[in-house]
Order: sequence, then C-alpha cells, then structure tokens
Amino acid sequence: MEEVKKIRTVCRSCHGECGVIAHVKDGKVVKVEGDPNHPISHGTMCAKGLAITQLAYHPDRILHPMKKVGEKLSGEWERITWDEALDTIATKFQAVIDKYGPEYIVVGQGTGRDYESHLYRFANQLGTPNVLTAGHFCYVSRVSSSLITCGNLPVVDYYINEPKCIVIWGTNPMWTNPDEYTGENFMRALKNGAKLINVDPRKSFYAGRADLWLQIRPGTDGALAFGFHHVIIEEELYDKDFVENYSHGWDAFKERVMKDYPLEKVQEITWIDKELIRKAARMYATTKPAAIQWGVPTEESINCTDFTRTAIGLMGITGNLDAPGGNALFVNPPTRTVAEFSRHKDLSKEVLAKRLGGEQFKLGARVAFINPKKAWDSIVYGEPYQLKAGLLCGTNPVVTRANAREAYEALKKIGFLVVIDHFMTPTAELADIFLPAGTWLEQNHVASNWKRHGYAFARQKCCEIGEAWQDHKIFQELGKRMGQEWWPTVEDGLDYLLEPSGLTFEQFKEKGYLQGEMVYHKYKERGFSTPTRKLELWSTILEKWGRDPLPKYVEVPESPYSTPEVAKKYPYIFNSGLRTPTYFHSAGRMIPLLREIRPDPIVEVHPETAKKHGIEDGQWIYIESPRGRIKQRAKLYDGIDPRVVTSEHGWWFPEIKDPGHGWEISNANILTDNAFETCDPNMGSTNVRVCLCNIYPCENE
Amino acid sequence: MEEISLHFFEEDCNGCHACEIACKQEHGLGVGPQLIRVIEKSPLFIPVYCHHCEDPPCGDACPVEAITRDERGIVLINEELCTGCKACVEACPYGAMQYDEDRELAVKCDLCYERLEMGEEPACSLVCPAHCIAWGDPKDFSN
Repeated sequence: MEEVKKIRTVCRSCHGECGVIAHVKDGKVVKVEGDPNHPISHGTMCAKGLAITQLAYHPDRILHPMKKVGEKLSGEWERITWDEALDTIATKFQAVIDKYGPEYIVVGQGTGRDYESHLYRFANQLGTPNVLTAGHFCYVSRVSSSLITCGNLPVVDYYINEPKCIVIWGTNPMWTNPDEYTGENFMRALKNGAKLINVDPRKSFYAGRADLWLQIRPGTDGALAFGFHHVIIEEELYDKDFVENYSHGWDAFKERVMKDYPLEKVQEITWIDKELIRKAARMYATTKPAAIQWGVPTEESINCTDFTRTAIGLMGITGNLDAPGGNALFVNPPTRTVAEFSRHKDLSKEVLAKRLGGEQFKLGARVAFINPKKAWDSIVYGEPYQLKAGLLCGTNPVVTRANAREAYEALKKIGFLVVIDHFMTPTAELADIFLPAGTWLEQNHVASNWKRHGYAFARQKCCEIGEAWQDHKIFQELGKRMGQEWWPTVEDGLDYLLEPSGLTFEQFKEKGYLQGEMVYHKYKERGFSTPTRKLELWSTILEKWGRDPLPKYVEVPESPYSTPEVAKKYPYIFNSGLRTPTYFHSAGRMIPLLREIRPDPIVEVHPETAKKHGIEDGQWIYIESPRGRIKQRAKLYDGIDPRVVTSEHGWWFPEIKDPGHGWEISNANILTDNAFETCDPNMGSTNVRVCLCNIYPCENE
Repeated sequence: MEEISLHFFEEDCNGCHACEIACKQEHGLGVGPQLIRVIEKSPLFIPVYCHHCEDPPCGDACPVEAITRDERGIVLINEELCTGCKACVEACPYGAMQYDEDRELAVKCDLCYERLEMGEEPACSLVCPAHCIAWGDPKDFSN
C-alpha cells in the first residue's frame, strides 16, 4: 500500500474553481479538502465539490465508450473501444460534410465546464457555425452585452479591494459560486461592514441580512434598474465628469429614463414600493465604492441584453466602473485567449452566414452560439435546413432547455447523435454513441483562463478512472481523426495556451496560479474598448444593425399583465429560480450524500395560497402551465409573494432505470416557453425562468 | 491544558451544507448519521452539532460508560464499548448524537481530533465559506 499523496488542483463542480487538495492513495482519490493557500477560496469549498469522490467512483458511472444497438429509446447499449467510437463518429461526420456541408453538424455543450476552448477549436476546424451552448442565457450573454457597452465584463472587486456597498441582484453566491466568484469573498466583505442591498423575489439568507430587501416580481429586473437610474438622475447623484467625458448617448438615455420610467410606473411593474427603490438607489449611489453582483435570472429573460447594459450604466454613472472596490474590469494574466486558441477566425463570412438564427440574434452570433429552438426547428421542420448530426458534451437539454418536450422530440429525431457525459442521462439515452468523460479530478487544464477576474489556476490530474478521457482529449483525438490541427498530447496544447506567460504547463502546475497585473480606471487613459471609446449607453453597434440603440424594459412575455387571458386559467407567476446548494442545474441527483440533503424537488408556495388549494406542507402538488404539467413537493414559505410559486429546476431521476429516467416528472422546463417572440431579440436568450401556472394537490400521494 | 469546543455563529450560516459533506468524508460516513447538520428555516439556518458539553448528558445516559470527555474537553465515544442502545441519542439536548445503522453503533463529532493533532483545523470549519464555524477555547466564542 502506497502512502497518501496530496495533489493540489482546482474544483469544477460548479463555477467558482476553489482550490482543492486531493488525497490520493494507490491511484484512487480517497478524500478532497479545501486548499488554504488558494488565492480566492482560502480552503473553503461547497457541498458539490466535496462530494466529488461519490461522483467519480459512482457505481452507475459509465467508464468506456458505448454504441446503441437497439432502437433509439431501447436503452440497449454495447461496449466498444475508443478506436471504434472515434472512427464511427469521424466517418459519420465526414459523410455529412461531404453530402451536405459542415454546418449540418451541431456541436453543443451545457454550462461551462472549462473545455469551451477545446470544443470551439473542434467545431471551428470542423467548419460549423452551429454551436449550441448554455451561453445564450448564461454568462456568455452578459459578456456579449458587456462587450458592446464597455468592452469587458465588470466583475465585483472582492479580490484586490473591497466594496462598501454590495447589491446582490438575483443571485446566491454562497450556494452557486458563479463565474469569477466564490461565496467566501462576498461574506468577508459583508462581515467587514459592507452595506447590503438584496434584489430577490424570495426572502433568502441575503434578504435576512440586507439593509434593504427589494422583493421584486420575477422577471422585472430591467424595470428596477431603470428605477435606480431615475432616482440617481433626479437627485443628481451621478458622477458628472464620467457622464460628460466617458459616456456616449447620455442625453438620449436620460430622456428615456425620465420619460418612460417614472418611479410610480416602476413600482407598478416590479411590485416594489417606490420609496424603497429610492432608498436603495441612494444607498448604492452615495456609498463608495459600491458594486453590483448580478445573477442569471436577469439573463434568462427577454430583457437579457438590456438589463446588463442598464446595470453597467449604473456602475458607470456612479463612478464605480473599473474603480477599486467597485465593478472592476480586471486584467487577465498573459495566457492565449480562448478566441485565438479556438480559431474563431477559421470560419469564413460565407460559413458564418449559415449560422442558424445568426441574422436574427446578432449579439448571440457575435459570441458564436445559437438559440436552442433554432436547432430544434432545424431538426424537426428542416428550417432553413436540416441538421443531420450532433455532438453534445456535458449537457442535458431535455431537462435544462425551455419547452423541454420540443428539445426531446428534436434530439429523438436527429440522424446521428454523440453524447459525452459521466452518466446515462435522459439526453444520453437518445444518442447513438456515448463517450465517457473524466471528472475534474481526471483533468489537466489551465482553469479559469477564459474568466474575467484576473486569475488562471492549475488544475492537475489526480487519477484516471476506467477508460474515461478528459473532454479536452476527446475533442483533440476526434479532431485529429478528422484532419484537424491539434497536438500530440493535451499537455502540449496547454503549453500553447500558456505560451504568452512564458510558462509550460509543468511549470504552471508548480506555480499553482497566475494573476494579471491590475490597473484601475483604464478608460481615463485609453477609453473603453467600444467603437466610440466611451461607455455606450447608446449602442452604436445596435444602431448600425437597425435595432433600438437604447436599452428598455419589455414586459415578461407571459404574465398577468401581458397575457391576462392566460392568467385566468393560470393565475400564478411560476419562477423556476429556487436553487439548491447541493445540485448544479441537472447534475448530481445520483450522488448519495447530496440526495440525502435534498431528496425531492421542492416548490415553494405561500401559506395563504396553499390554503386556497388545500395544499399542505410536504405534499406533492401538480404545477401546470399552458405547455404541460409536472409535480414537485410543496414547501410552504411566507417569504415569497402569495401570487408567486417558486420551484427547483434540473430534476430527473437517475434511480428510475427506464431510458426516460423520469425526465418529464418534475422537470420545470416542461412548463416554460421557447417561442422566438419570448426570447431576447438581440441575444436569443430563452426565458426558462418565468411563466404562468396553476397549482393543485396530487391525489393519493 | 486549554479546553476546546465547537461553535457556530448562527447568523452567518447560509445553509450551504458544505460542513456536512466535509464531516462525512472525514469520518468515512455514508447516508444516515450526520455528525453535523443544518436545518433550513429560510431565511435562517439552524446548525445542529455537538457542543462538547462540560457535563455531557450523553455520557450520563450511557449505561456502559462508553462516552467520556477528555482532558481537552472533547466528548468522545469509545466504539468498542458502545452497545448501540441509543440512550445517548435520546439524551442529547441538541440532537447531535447519531446512530450508524450499518455498524449498529452510536457515532458523534470527535472535533476531528486526528486533524487537530496534525495541526489542522476540523474539516467542517476549514471548508465553511461563511467562516461561521469556530473551534477552540469556548471563552473566545463570545468575541
């Protein structure tokens, strides 16, 4: 028996990339713990990361490639070799390219799993512009909106300085560690006395601790941001030097705010008392430095682009943008950019013109993703042409994409499908070939190299399990079989990624991490990276495209106000934003220690509302929308508005062994809509958050 | 010797459950016994854990004297003596004493004494992103 070896690496169970010490004995990871020397997590970790060994060594994990031998939904699979799997895929893909063209292949991924550089390098060399990612409503969409507004994504400066006022806007950083953030840093700032403003439809931990809690109607964040602007303009709390010298379109923007968004109207839209909005806007504008940390509900919305632009406007006009302790535009360490590594420039204008929905969702196209319904319509209706093959990595769209039934039907129909995952998910069951991916314990990578908080971390391989390959290797080896340019090993590719830093991957591992050299207020020297070199409240890019150059708020597509007829039958606002600290979207339900904490899908119902329907605490209830019906277990909670019902998303049941794995039972996206008119008109973001519903108890359960 | 114990600053606990998983991993426990756990009462979270009482009721209840408090103040259970009668589980006013169905034994927080001996902090305290778990001299917890 070997001694325990301690390997320093970084987590990827969610997005925070906390430092980890893995304890390895006889080639097996027996324990993980936090790395006290990690610069942004300091030894802290979350439940998901700590449970990684139960995922990695799970008895249901698939550790070798497989091919489907029966009908699509037979659940009959046969083990094959990597050679057979990759040869089959390469042959099929080549046949599609030869007969139709590379754009007939869709390549996709779910939430960022630190391999997008490799996935895009594969897709771009394949020659397809059709890459289907979660980016259309998560993170990449805020990056895209930020790029056209101020040239980079503003990130709360918890790292070098610290805010004295924090707006936690639709996010739970202690549970979900979104990109660029770990909960510990927020908590430290709070304990150091930062004022806290919380925007959340439900009374969360943050609401309990906040100086001001703004209980917002789900989906109306954009209107609230205009309310903040209104107060700041009316009371002249803005930074006049910034507005005059560093913003573009101030007068027109100001006019729209004052004319279209009086506080009474904002109160009516958001359900937040106008005096509370006034107090919050004052607190944010007059406490220096102040920062806004905003979450994904603002993106999973028809107002995705415009919320981000309006929020960045707030940061700018209050002098908090790229300011110490405000929302900083961090300087990344000198690694190769994802764009360069991924070879985005390989795609010609002619190829780009074939991107599904590219003309309609131009801002999404600018950051190289497509709207999911564009893919489903292509497969099902052949509009405007029919995708023939697909490769999906680490994604479970039949659970996580709006109007899930449509996703299911499309993936059932596509001619040839490859899925890369750890487990046989409901999406993987629809595949022809299954490829087993390594977990983050089985990866060498330059983690976080695409993030915008100024760090890159060394993730190093701690073990190998079965025949699983890290995703990067899968893209590389499949790419090589299709004549693409890659490297002999994954590590050679990482050397290329690191080249500008002067380090090899081996040296980087020793060092542990890189941090960029921060300079604040860069715009004062060289302007923002936008066409006018100013913060574009008036977007010259949207103007050029003939779109509204100023941001605005559009009512939630399905709501008591926009569709009162629908509201008669479905009187409650459905909000799928109830998060858990144990699961990351659709992942993790098979992990025993996590499932012990959260055994069932929970839907929060206000006690008054529950009473009306005869619903008791703990009872299974149906939630029904115009698109379908699901059931979840009711939890009565008076911290939500009685007109709102708040549910968990991402549920399927790995313990159900038929090929559907219970994907329809409690899946919030059976209820959501994906019609193009409900999507953000520039980004193509789908609204997986908010729609209308009714509720009633399940009988005999 | 200074006494040591465990303490949660409850108002900072946000219910992330990281402490629970870290604890289970450290003690090799599966589904079932929870030496530390957090009950959700949104917007509050109530941690349930061993307070290493000065005069531990679990120890008093144990018919075979398997539970003792050592010189550092850590209340420990001697698994070799434990008969699995669950009297301690009933007696604990905090609900912290647990029963391991697989091994038919009572189990409890040992403050990660093996880690302490190596100069490391308890597993739960290390991972807590809110830094709301303190260990050490109980006199310091009021600060």
